[in-house]
Amino acid sequence: MRDSDLNELRSLLGSGFRELDPVEERAGCRLRVSLEPRSSDELAESLALLSAHRQSVLLMGAGTRLDLGNPIRDTSIALSCRLLSGVDELDEADGVVRVAAGTPLAELSRQVEAAGWLLPLSTASGPGTLGGALATAFSGPRRLGFGPVRDCVLGVDTVLASGERVRCGARVVKNVTGYDMAKLYVGSLGTLAVIERVWLRLSPRPRSVRVLEVHPTPGDDVFGLALEAARRPGARAVALIFSGPNAGGSENPSAGNWRLLAEFAGEQEVTEWNAGWLAAGRQSVASDVSAVDRLGDLQVSGSRRAMRLRIHILPGDLERCCARLQVLAARLLVYPEPAVVHALFENEDGDVGWSDDLLQRLAKVREEFGAQTVVEALPEGRESGGDVFEGAQPLALMRSLKKSFDPGEILNPGRFAGLI
Amino acid sequence: MSRQAPPSLIRRLSTVVGSENCLSSPEELFTYGCDGLTLDAHEPSVVILPRTTEEVRRAVEICLEFEWPFVPRGAGTGLSGGAVPLDGAVVICCSRMQEILEVDAENRIAVVQPGVINAELSRAVAHLGLFYAPDPSSQQACTIGGNVAENSGGPHTLKYGTTTNHVLALELVLPSASVLRLGSPTGFAAGYDLVGAVVGSEGTFGIVTEVTVRLVPLPEAVETVLAIFDDVPSACRLVGGIIRSGMCPAALEVVDQRTVRAVEASTYAAGLPLDAGAILIIELDGAECEMPGQLARIRELADHEGVREMRIARDAKERVLFWRARKGAFGAMGRLAPDLYVHDAVVPRARLPEVLEEICAIGDRHRITLSNVFHAGDGNLHPNISFDRRDADELARVMAAGREMLELCVRVGGVLTGEHGVGTEKREYMGLLFGAADLAAMETLREVFDPDRICNPGKLIPTTRACVESNPRARGYDRVPIA
Repeated sequence: MRDSDLNELRSLLGSGFRELDPVEERAGCRLRVSLEPRSSDELAESLALLSAHRQSVLLMGAGTRLDLGNPIRDTSIALSCRLLSGVDELDEADGVVRVAAGTPLAELSRQVEAAGWLLPLSTASGPGTLGGALATAFSGPRRLGFGPVRDCVLGVDTVLASGERVRCGARVVKNVTGYDMAKLYVGSLGTLAVIERVWLRLSPRPRSVRVLEVHPTPGDDVFGLALEAARRPGARAVALIFSGPNAGGSENPSAGNWRLLAEFAGEQEVTEWNAGWLAAGRQSVASDVSAVDRLGDLQVSGSRRAMRLRIHILPGDLERCCARLQVLAARLLVYPEPAVVHALFENEDGDVGWSDDLLQRLAKVREEFGAQTVVEALPEGRESGGDVFEGAQPLALMRSLKKSFDPGEILNPGRFAGLI
Repeated sequence: MSRQAPPSLIRRLSTVVGSENCLSSPEELFTYGCDGLTLDAHEPSVVILPRTTEEVRRAVEICLEFEWPFVPRGAGTGLSGGAVPLDGAVVICCSRMQEILEVDAENRIAVVQPGVINAELSRAVAHLGLFYAPDPSSQQACTIGGNVAENSGGPHTLKYGTTTNHVLALELVLPSASVLRLGSPTGFAAGYDLVGAVVGSEGTFGIVTEVTVRLVPLPEAVETVLAIFDDVPSACRLVGGIIRSGMCPAALEVVDQRTVRAVEASTYAAGLPLDAGAILIIELDGAECEMPGQLARIRELADHEGVREMRIARDAKERVLFWRARKGAFGAMGRLAPDLYVHDAVVPRARLPEVLEEICAIGDRHRITLSNVFHAGDGNLHPNISFDRRDADELARVMAAGREMLELCVRVGGVLTGEHGVGTEKREYMGLLFGAADLAAMETLREVFDPDRICNPGKLIPTTRACVESNPRARGYDRVPIA
């Protein structure tokens, strides 16, 4: 972008325009300029200008999940929505909230809980924004109870690459008026449009919550137990944690190397009934919701030398899949339903070559189980060399969609599945 | 008169599906001229009934070659004109694609052809302790493919969600005649959520030929309660109280007095009190141990709203009786007048009492026969207008009242449809809710799937032509004969 064009952005955004000196490296980009619009109009006008100059941008909220996705092509400008923040309306009677995308999740959660409701988004801790959670469709441990991210989104105001503002959905909890555009925006890593404001459906606060940590007995069918726990009424989060090959040394996933964490929510009778069932005959410890919160952080943990993989699979294949991953020295966090395995691989020797061999072996695991996989982080210094979202289909239709909504391909180009 | 397809097109289609699955006589075509919205009928050029994906694909290929529009159809139970064949379109009716291809009890999924009847799927998996949750009132007749097209709901949407929450993967024949597989049985597929976009697209993105759905465990315990009130607003206030209390019932349904009387005079009679102003059906499901506590709290909340009587279904037989009464309500309306216009709109739940009062006032102003039976827990209203289409003046009043009701719902933050879809019925009203840019974005999405506009054209998105046709007379409301 020429200096004269940048000056247009500078005069539009004032202090929201910053030249970065030194240049910042993020999401595969060397960033020279940071844009932070303070209003919807500024956001729309910024995008219109960028579009007119066919200048691509790295879109972000607080920048907490920039490790997810492919490197972005040809971008030296970052645009953050973090200043578009705040709750516009919280309808306590109806349990819905209209909120700006840059609102920090922790702040939104506090306000919602103060109004007697729960924010049904299960995320990692930190300064992440609502817009970031929606763009990445981050699903944490409570997806079991809350459903996927998209389920709580009732209506979305977006700004297209052209700068045009577009609305879909509404504030009501049931709606089939027009195409369900929100489904496309959620999880699209900002490649179709910039999410500006959202109507969210809130969850009622349960009367009782019980969290239990259990060490399965050698006789337990670990995966069967976890799945049974997840399928009981009131189960809100169930996870199996395998801390590494040294935790027990066995390659048998049912040999007692696992911890099971379960959170039950609802009527007190149900949570007690569930807790009693799970603890019976097993070594168990009562825990609290923060233990479940920490699982979200565990999902995104790992050193700079680590490789992180997310595997979506059928519940019935979990045990065999985990056995394969344990042989590859993975640390595992497993949600039994919907079945997701978060696998973490670390290598201390500093050479990133190990990850090539590992990726090949993981491809075989993916093929064997018909799994859907996402490489969420690669060891620092290793180029992805491909698509971290394995097997996105049908690519031609997805590319056509991208081209239709973002003809100049200025929104996070290359970051999404299929290098879209 | 609808445009007529060239005989060569019909001959080619007949060779694909066989002459026995190709309908072209006026008597046969009459049945396919409309869906449940009988006000808006247009004769198709031909109806074909394929049995396989390949037959559907070849039929679409032929339509594309002739540049002739086609319309996907399931059982034709839709209520917004979504399956109406405008402009002499070919109807590709998937009702004979009715195989349940796979049931995987361990992973709780089923793979079905689109013509499988909704209730049949639940019956087929009941012995495994599972069911298919979306349960529209037409579930004894409507098909899974139709449910996908309309993102159908039903009384139990409140707890279990609509069709979109239960569809994991799809096979789709695009209007370009290519076959795509979207989504994954795992519930995650890399890339854009195309399954989410296709569900509820009203058959405008292609023809769904296979559906992978999520099955849900049958609850350990179910309690069905009738809370009988003197008026509708009190019943609605109890709905708000229950939602705010943190309970999540499986269903919260309101029927008003006129509906109760029609039902009690019909084959669906369940012994409901004829003098009740409104009945709220509350269904709880879950663990056995949580039922007594929840019932006690509901009793307390209902007393606070001045409930007249509470009846709890004594057994499964009585529960079925209550639900037959609720789901048979639309059929029972046939006793009130020759025609029934089932409206569908959604408002914020907290606004239900005032909106219901205003809807009744609109009905009075237009001198129409109005009854209400609705999914109160979702704020999803169904004002039902009984009328006689042969009376032109009454028809005009019905249409005017309907528009006012929709305007009211949008004014309080609601939407035009919660489960019936836009179709032809509400196409002209889309401007009440969306601006030009919003509609243009929808148009853009549609063109990604159907650049040639041959798949169910004239639905959902208003066009200049559609606005002209929105005049009831121009749409032929006064020309449809009484069956």
